[in-house]
Amino acid sequence: MSVELSRPGVVLNASGLSAGYEGRAIVSDITIEAQPGHVVSVVGPNGSGKSTLLKSLVGVVRVLEGHVTVDGKEITNQTPEHVATLGVGYVPQIDDVFPPLSVKENLEIGGYLLKRGDVASRVEAVLAFFPKLSAMLARRAGKLSGGERKMLAMGRVLMLSPSVLILDEPTANLAPLVATQLLEEYVRGFADAGATVLIVEQRAKAALRISDWTYVLGGGRVVLSGPPKELEQNPVFVDSFLGGGTRR
Amino acid sequence: MSVFMPSFGFGLISAAVLAIAAVGFTMQFAVTNVLNLAYGSIMINSAFVTYWVNRTGVSVWLALFVGVACGAVVSWCLNRFIYTPFQRRNPAAITVVIVSLGVDLIGTFGLQAIISGSDVSYIMSQGRELHILGMDLSVVELIIFAICAVVLVSVRLLLKFSRLGKAMRATAANRSLARNSGVKTDLIVSLTWLISGALCGLAGTVFAIDAGTFGATSAELYVVLILAAVFLGGPGEPYGAMLGALTIGLATEISAAYLTSDYKEVVAFLVLLGMLAFRPFGLFGSEKTS
Repeated sequence: MSVELSRPGVVLNASGLSAGYEGRAIVSDITIEAQPGHVVSVVGPNGSGKSTLLKSLVGVVRVLEGHVTVDGKEITNQTPEHVATLGVGYVPQIDDVFPPLSVKENLEIGGYLLKRGDVASRVEAVLAFFPKLSAMLARRAGKLSGGERKMLAMGRVLMLSPSVLILDEPTANLAPLVATQLLEEYVRGFADAGATVLIVEQRAKAALRISDWTYVLGGGRVVLSGPPKELEQNPVFVDSFLGGGTRR
Repeated sequence: MSVFMPSFGFGLISAAVLAIAAVGFTMQFAVTNVLNLAYGSIMINSAFVTYWVNRTGVSVWLALFVGVACGAVVSWCLNRFIYTPFQRRNPAAITVVIVSLGVDLIGTFGLQAIISGSDVSYIMSQGRELHILGMDLSVVELIIFAICAVVLVSVRLLLKFSRLGKAMRATAANRSLARNSGVKTDLIVSLTWLISGALCGLAGTVFAIDAGTFGATSAELYVVLILAAVFLGGPGEPYGAMLGALTIGLATEISAAYLTSDYKEVVAFLVLLGMLAFRPFGLFGSEKTS
């Protein structure tokens, strides 16, 4: 990476985690860990609880049992705004930008916790990483294409130089070429620069290509985990996720 | 022609008063997600607070600040002690609207019981009458127009350039994402109640000044005009509310000159219905905001 966009990563850990809505668990007894410099992916069929898991890590969904820690600090059921102050950046699958605000204003809101004098230079740093956004600073975020919008969503999160990046299906609705570029160039790039990256991804093959470790969710629980090369040898995994019907 | 320009002048002043009220209302709705039908009641109660201070000998232009503070504090309390506890239970959106209607009736008729139903006026001079481009405007009306201009420019600067304003717009657009960005949205919502409440208090006093005499129920129908301006511009869109207020203000006053003032609200809603037939989300609105 040409600019320092993230701080050195820290360990993200969830142990015995159950979380859900109105007291009903969607995910149960989940234990996962993500190390600095690693991309850790979570794959699984629709409805397996992947997004709920990520939301519970950042305080959007209530944790019913278990613990979440960042760099050893307990963040279980902390408010999302507090989690943001601890260097955890979260990009949701949908509603990932502020549509009525301009691209520049989206980035400025991403840097809301920065000192006022630091915001402009930080915007410049993020734009150096996503140069395509420079040409559309005044454009409303709601008018961007899918790929541009996702770049902005990531740029917004990078405004706070996160140590941990949590990405929920960043390639959803993107063209295959754009999706591959996003994963291999940007997401892998964040980890290579030292950040901790946890990503939920429907494109299992593409996710495995950039991951150091993968968790497989089914029915709200971790049913398999391991390094991608190991999982690729597992016939159950191959049949379920890497078969002919699986997206690239 | 001889009727048009004077009524156009009245329309501008009506639009100015309506714009202050509508911008506060729509800002409140956008950020807090509450369609606060008690807005008119707070307006008129604030106007009466200004009246009581004015009766002690204080100039109405100074007493106005007490009315503004009243609107801000009452609106904040209304959210803190009534709307927020209801919203925590995740009720249907219509439930909070009905609650606000109840608050409106309590505020309006509670005030009427206190003042014994009589109409009152501020102690103030209207100033001399000026003849400008065929419009007959008093100095007071020009002051109202100036207040409106200052308020609208200030709102524009707040929303577009200040950190608070951007956080308010972000909270209005996507509260969950704003929280993930580190914005303390509960604080932003509280500040929005204070700011929009202050605009409500200001609108109430300015409305009463413009009306000359006013009573506890004077703003009951005025909420209808505020709603028309807000929905014409696009709910939750401050700039839309400004344009909506201008359209409704001019349409009602000019129609009153040619027809009768009894049809003001009818004309306002005819304009609204006509516009919504072509742009269902209002002039500035989108599907999401609607």
